[in-house]
Amino acid sequence: MAIDEDRLSETFAALANSTRRAILALLAEGAATVNELAEPFEMTLPNISKHIKVLERAGLVRRGQRAQYRPCALDAAPLEEVSTWAEQYRPVWEARFDRLDDYLKQLQPQRKTGENDD
Amino acid sequence: MTDNNGSEAAVRIERSFDAPVELIWQMWTDPGHFAAWYGPHGATIPVAKMDVRVGGTRLVCIEMQTPDGPMQMWFTGEYREVVVNERLVYTESMSDENGNVVSPGDMGMPTGHPAITEVRVELEDVGGRTTMVMTHAGVPSDSPGAAGWAMALDKLAAHVIAHSNR
Repeated sequence: MAIDEDRLSETFAALANSTRRAILALLAEGAATVNELAEPFEMTLPNISKHIKVLERAGLVRRGQRAQYRPCALDAAPLEEVSTWAEQYRPVWEARFDRLDDYLKQLQPQRKTGENDD
Repeated sequence: MTDNNGSEAAVRIERSFDAPVELIWQMWTDPGHFAAWYGPHGATIPVAKMDVRVGGTRLVCIEMQTPDGPMQMWFTGEYREVVVNERLVYTESMSDENGNVVSPGDMGMPTGHPAITEVRVELEDVGGRTTMVMTHAGVPSDSPGAAGWAMALDKLAAHVIAHSNR
């Protein structure tokens, strides 16, 4: 799967803020208006709107067009791209830790390895 | 091999080793031990410089034999958290042999590879054995305080994907 590098950077940047991650966590429960999102954060509406705009640019949030409240909804697609990057590295690490396990057995041959691991 | 189907935003691997935490800590922080297991099969680690303290730098070279001769890949980074026998957090970027960061794209890495990644290792003594949790996440270059968010992100992505598969 091809990944858009700029968009990935934007996703990472958007996620590098605890308020924005909390907003996404709220939206994972369902769509919400800006007013509803502002409530738990003790933030002004313009402030929360700024965060939502960053999430919108990164494609993580979509906003309804018709209602005057323009509810926000989560779009998980960019998160899946982040996940695609991460998954490329899983087999690399698994192989490393297999070798670490072998190396540890060489280092401490006297140790009993009776129990099953993992 | 894996117990999920790609629903996480960071690589998170939990393993149990039949060795005390002190030894596992050395596996990550002693260049001699680190070089023994870290590289891919058939590769060597000719250089592993590790200044293991917060703000200290690291420089690691992985050398692989190819039909065209040896190929070297260099990685640099900085230690962000060092709690002996418990927690080690460091960043990683591709670099040249002097530790100058180069972009992943220039090195022929797949697009979408973040320029800086963060490796987090957490160790726990379980009756003389060690449980290790390793998390490897991409971090934005302008986010020096990124240590905590990989975990939150991980949880969030799992939650999001669970909900979007309704």
